[in-house]
Amino acid sequence: MKLYCLSGHPTLPCNVLKFKSTTIMLDCGLDTTSVLNFLPLPLVHSSRLSKLPGWVSKDGTVNLEKRELLDLSTIDVILISNYHCMMALPYITEHTGFTGTVYATEPTLQIGRLLMEELVNFMERVPKAQSATCWKNKEIQRILPGPLKDAVDVWTWKRCYSMQEVNSALSKVQLVGYSQKVELFGAVQVSPLSSGYSLGSSNWIIQSHHEKVSYVSGSSLLTTHPQPMDQSSLKNSDVLILTGLTQMPTANPDGMLGEFCSNLAMTIRAGGNVLVPCYSSGVIYDLLECLYQFIESASLGTTPFYFISPVANSSLEFSQIFAEWLCHNKQTKVYLPEPPFPHAELIQTNKLKHYPSIHGDFSSEFRQPCVVFTGHPSLRFGDVVHFMELWGKSSLNTIIFTEPDFSYLDALAPYQPLAMKCVYCPIDTRLNFHQVSKLLKEIQPLHVVCPEQYTQPPVSQSHRSDLMLELQPPPMPYRRCSVLNLPFRRRYERVYILPELANSLVPSEIKPGISVATVSAVLHSKDNKHTLQSVPKPPPVPPSKKRKRVMEEPPVVLVPKPLLSGAVPLEAFLATLQKHGITEVKVEETADGHILHLQAEDTLIQLEEDGTHIVCDNNEPLRTTLRDLVLRFLQKL
Amino acid sequence: MDTECVSLLPRVCEVLADSARSLPDDTTLEKLLDWFTGFTKAGGSLLEACPCLLEFVSTVVYNTTSDPSVLSFTLRLTGLMAASEDGFIMLQEYSVLDLVFKLQHWQEAGLWDDPCIRIGWIQGLWSMLQHPKALTFFVQSGDTPYFIEPLLQLQTDRSIFVASAANQMLAHILLFFQPPLSAGCNGIGKKDGDDKRTHASITDLDQPAITLENRAEYAAVVTAILEYLKESLVPKENTQLHQSLQLLKLLSLLLTQARSPLRDMLLQTVAGSLEELVTTGYSQLTVPLMDVILAAHSSGTDEPDKHITHLLSSMLKINKPADLIHAAAAVLRRGHHDTAHTAWAVRLLLLPLSIITGQTLLGAAGDEHHLSMVEQLKSKTLCIPVVCVSLTSSPQITLMPADFLPCPPVTIVTAVLSLLRVCSGHVSSSCTGCTEVFRNVIGSGKVQRCALDALTAFSCSPGAKEKISEVLTILTQYLDSPDSDPTVLHKSYQALVKWTCVCKDLSSIKDQLRQDLIRVVKKRVCDMRWEVRDSTVEFLGKAAGVLKSAKEEHDVFEALLGGCSCTTPLLKEALQDPESYVRASAISALAQTLAHSWHQGAALTQEQTEIVSRLLEILSQDTEGFARRAVIQFFITWFLSCSSHSPPSSSTSSSSSSLLMNSVHSILSLGSTDLDWEVKVHTLELAELLLDEAFSGHRGYGKGSNSHPALLHPNAVVSDQAWKSDLVSALSGLVELGVISVLLSGLFDCDRPVGLKACQLLITLRETVCPLSLEALDATTAMATVARVSCELPGWGWGQEIRKIVRMKKNDRANEMAVTGADEVCSKEHNEAGEHSVSEGGESVCVGVCEVLRSLGLDERLGVLTQSSDHVHNSPLSLLQDILTASAAHAHPDTQPGQEVIVDCY
Repeated sequence: MKLYCLSGHPTLPCNVLKFKSTTIMLDCGLDTTSVLNFLPLPLVHSSRLSKLPGWVSKDGTVNLEKRELLDLSTIDVILISNYHCMMALPYITEHTGFTGTVYATEPTLQIGRLLMEELVNFMERVPKAQSATCWKNKEIQRILPGPLKDAVDVWTWKRCYSMQEVNSALSKVQLVGYSQKVELFGAVQVSPLSSGYSLGSSNWIIQSHHEKVSYVSGSSLLTTHPQPMDQSSLKNSDVLILTGLTQMPTANPDGMLGEFCSNLAMTIRAGGNVLVPCYSSGVIYDLLECLYQFIESASLGTTPFYFISPVANSSLEFSQIFAEWLCHNKQTKVYLPEPPFPHAELIQTNKLKHYPSIHGDFSSEFRQPCVVFTGHPSLRFGDVVHFMELWGKSSLNTIIFTEPDFSYLDALAPYQPLAMKCVYCPIDTRLNFHQVSKLLKEIQPLHVVCPEQYTQPPVSQSHRSDLMLELQPPPMPYRRCSVLNLPFRRRYERVYILPELANSLVPSEIKPGISVATVSAVLHSKDNKHTLQSVPKPPPVPPSKKRKRVMEEPPVVLVPKPLLSGAVPLEAFLATLQKHGITEVKVEETADGHILHLQAEDTLIQLEEDGTHIVCDNNEPLRTTLRDLVLRFLQKL
Repeated sequence: MDTECVSLLPRVCEVLADSARSLPDDTTLEKLLDWFTGFTKAGGSLLEACPCLLEFVSTVVYNTTSDPSVLSFTLRLTGLMAASEDGFIMLQEYSVLDLVFKLQHWQEAGLWDDPCIRIGWIQGLWSMLQHPKALTFFVQSGDTPYFIEPLLQLQTDRSIFVASAANQMLAHILLFFQPPLSAGCNGIGKKDGDDKRTHASITDLDQPAITLENRAEYAAVVTAILEYLKESLVPKENTQLHQSLQLLKLLSLLLTQARSPLRDMLLQTVAGSLEELVTTGYSQLTVPLMDVILAAHSSGTDEPDKHITHLLSSMLKINKPADLIHAAAAVLRRGHHDTAHTAWAVRLLLLPLSIITGQTLLGAAGDEHHLSMVEQLKSKTLCIPVVCVSLTSSPQITLMPADFLPCPPVTIVTAVLSLLRVCSGHVSSSCTGCTEVFRNVIGSGKVQRCALDALTAFSCSPGAKEKISEVLTILTQYLDSPDSDPTVLHKSYQALVKWTCVCKDLSSIKDQLRQDLIRVVKKRVCDMRWEVRDSTVEFLGKAAGVLKSAKEEHDVFEALLGGCSCTTPLLKEALQDPESYVRASAISALAQTLAHSWHQGAALTQEQTEIVSRLLEILSQDTEGFARRAVIQFFITWFLSCSSHSPPSSSTSSSSSSLLMNSVHSILSLGSTDLDWEVKVHTLELAELLLDEAFSGHRGYGKGSNSHPALLHPNAVVSDQAWKSDLVSALSGLVELGVISVLLSGLFDCDRPVGLKACQLLITLRETVCPLSLEALDATTAMATVARVSCELPGWGWGQEIRKIVRMKKNDRANEMAVTGADEVCSKEHNEAGEHSVSEGGESVCVGVCEVLRSLGLDERLGVLTQSSDHVHNSPLSLLQDILTASAAHAHPDTQPGQEVIVDCY
């Protein structure tokens, strides 16, 4: 069993597990931090941005962490754990010869599609006149300025995929529900479990009859909107692959949410606007819910909230229809009937308005001071670029970062100097180290595999010994491009036995409750299923001489020797020997049993737990007698 | 004792003795006993007053089918009756005592298993053991030679109440009967010679009842108890730890109160056991054992016993770090001042701090406990209590004399500061503390709270002031941290107030820090958690109040928080808060913030007008009492700070006090019609201030209700015209402001405290403007002008009530006059003066203030109002009646089970 680690990013994993003749890809996250190396793509021409000195990019921008560790076309299935971890899917399923199936839950597919659609939309609505790739050449890159010079693996950076590729990739997705068991080629069974992180997010169990591998990615124990995490099904794993812990171990989500609200209220009270760069699904639902409760208490009742995204409408509506994927108290609302999320009411009362972009209706409705939620959190593309240009000059306004994926200082770099206040409240609801160590204590996996980042304290805070995994046995760390031999041997395989063969068995009881029988059969293996079938009767000897040669080939079915079982009781054996006239016996105790020295006959009998030896030189009759005496005490099958 | 009660008592005893009849509720017996106890304490003799009790006791004690609670009551009652020697003798004559306290009796009846019998037995004996005869009885009685044996057994009773009562009972016997303090008194436990006897009789003059016999008895008791202590102090197995715990508690109780011979014997007896306990080192026993050792060590007048000193040293060297810390803390807690031991305890207490923070608190020398303490701290469950004990003791340590301290106090402050930094996860790389321990304390709210408490206390430590900048930085950091718990934030604010109020010089504070603090406070006012908003608003008020209380420090508030201009808008915003506590805190904070400008008589601002109108809105509309109470308090504060510098009424119209006086009428009328009685009482307090203000300087005005108007000479009043005209204008002013209406309406309020306060104020007013002693002169011209001042009464509610009383009073007087043959004209005149416009319907009418004040019968009313509302139902008579009623109801032959009448005493 091997694990190929294609990504070293702990929250955007991409691993391939080879397990019992299947090749399973676990997630394919897309690391988009490389966009920070590019200038923002403004929706409206910005003279300031266009005058910025530096290198002009013409490329679409994504970093793909794939290496030629293995041939992507050999992948049988891809298991997706949540919509953030599937953003690289088109790069894997398209143009690589991939012929397998992708498994994901319905919300993961639908919201994942929205996020991809949004990304494509953001990219395509600011078309580039030309594209350049020569700079990726190592020789040229070396002479580039600043951080670009030091960027690694620029040649893996690819253009953003198109909508067509997205559709084609998503058409390969097969929907699954929680705890549904999917058979892969009869060899293994995979099954998604609720992970509590986002709508439809899952952990996966990959198991055969005797081995169980758990894959934990992006899980949360907080009671936010999704169904709670299913922990008990992860018990008794041989190997647990642990990824997707919180990126902000020191930032407690509750505290951050409080921080978010108080900064928002502070700004609005002072007459400023609040900009929240965020993804169009996920934490935003919780933010809106929290604000819903907060609005009244902070007397923000009249302040408009705008949610601007090409997929804003679908995102808000989808969240309301996936009732079965929601936590219990949201589910019960559906039967009232009431929308599970309070943002429906915010929309009804006109407190929350959503628009596909800043063009069109929005411009006529726009009222300040206000709160705007919009993407993309990298501040390099999407409508957020416009608001940065619009509000950046006033110190009354505040930008509140809630997504932990990008360094906020890097994100802000092209907008400097900035008068606007910046608040960093990364909200990451994924498991923290404290929770994960409790979880592991609970579910007791034999071995844990995790990104190497989790096995030591963060570089910047080397004293924080609480921010790492401490396990016994220590976890197996992996880094990008590692190939790990997972530390367990397959020792058993399930074999079926046909009824007629079973019928012919004659079991004999060797211990109370344990019966043993010998089987002679032919092992038949097909589709990873192993069956014992009766030995075909040798066909009657054909008369033709021609076939004689062939006849010698089939296995000669010999009647097997009977198997012996049992132990030789010392006292009784000595008594029997005495009856047979062997009296001078010296018994010596050894570590494994006894050595009997028949002094008159100059013979040794070694009685051990798993063997009996009679050492008797040139006295065949004596040996035979002794053998028979020993056999008397043993059972035959 | 009330004769009515005495007459009821026999029937009550009958009810109690009859096991078939039941009691009104389970507190009845306790109340009855309380009544008897009170009676006995007051010096009465129960047996004399209620002879029926003796019969009751002798009946009940034979009837083992009685309710156990009645039996327990009987036991205690018997003890109470036998507490006096006479009672004791009488009971013994009737041979009741032997049976009542005979253990065997209860055991055979199978009642001893009931804990209420056991506790009744103990308490009965306890009440009885007040005189030597009782001691004799206690030591030898009936066929059981000693009561002491079962009492010792009860030490380990299943019921902790029984065990604890038995414990205290033992202490009572030993301490109560110990021979009086005398120089040569050491006869206990020895065979008395004749010379000793004379000696004792001389010294025991004040306790003549203690006879030689008693001495021997006492000695026997002491011997038995001491033997028991010696035997049982050291637990033989773990299950006996509880017993040892009890005995240690007893010992420390005894050692702190026992006098010389007893004390020495105790020490001698238990020395060996204590040593064994110290060597065995049971963790659960550390604290009580320390208490015993310290009690033994410190209370002696001469040099402490060497043996005990040795034990103390051993306790401070035991091998379990957690116990060690507790032992050391006990030394400090007891205020023990033995240089060597205290210094050592201080070292031990500082050890955890020193390990975690890496501060060199203990000097360069290594510590023998260092390694084991490090191990201890690495375990999460053990680490936090140890650190907390260390932190809790640290403020006391910093205040100790220098020769106890291994380092200057400032270093300890530094260590706590760096611990606070560790707790919040902000550890600088230069911190040399033990990183393995960090994971246990990072984010621990408990440690943070303890450390902040310590920090608050450090503000008074010598030399701590130099740390102000660092302290403010950390506190700001805590206030800013999104993960801080509301209680942690609250404590941070407390520390901040304390430090800024101690450190007057804030010039060393960097601008950045000030800006940070202002920003953080602004953010916290918008916090999602109301507790945090509340603490923040409260802090703003306290900061303004504390920092301004001393005038020269005004700039501190200005410097630290940007002064009123910065905080007032925040507080105004908080007036809109959805949580009533926050609104209330904001109102009080505003009062504290504005108090300074009021005090200086500053000009009126637009802001103040806005605040006042918002406050009036809150008073009239807010659904929660807290906020409304705070509004009245706000105006009280305002009034006080204005009147302290100049009378508000005489201020110019542009000053803030004119705004105050303009609002008073609305405040009074809104406040007095509030639904919350506290708001009404506060309103009356404001009215009281207005009264004080109006009559200040007037003769005869006694502030408060305890004044003695008799001091005023009637002739003096009549002769002083100027004073009279002042009085008229003052009274008319009060009528105009609505003060009089508030007082009158308060008098008829259904809430007793409101009525009481109003009544007291009205009496004061009456004594000032128209004392009853002057009634005879009423019609003279001298008082006529005052009497003409009138006020309006509404045609409903309290107004109607008052009119009714006034009319009745007038009729009475008219009749009186007719009888005495006085002039008709006079009464007619009176009528005109009393009620100016006569109308019977719902219309409001005007009545003379003096007339009303005199007619209301305020003094009788005050008498009624002063009594607590349950004075009728709480009397012994009512209790006895309840018992009888309940039993009558139950005894009724037609009553079916389940149809019981439930009578509740309250």
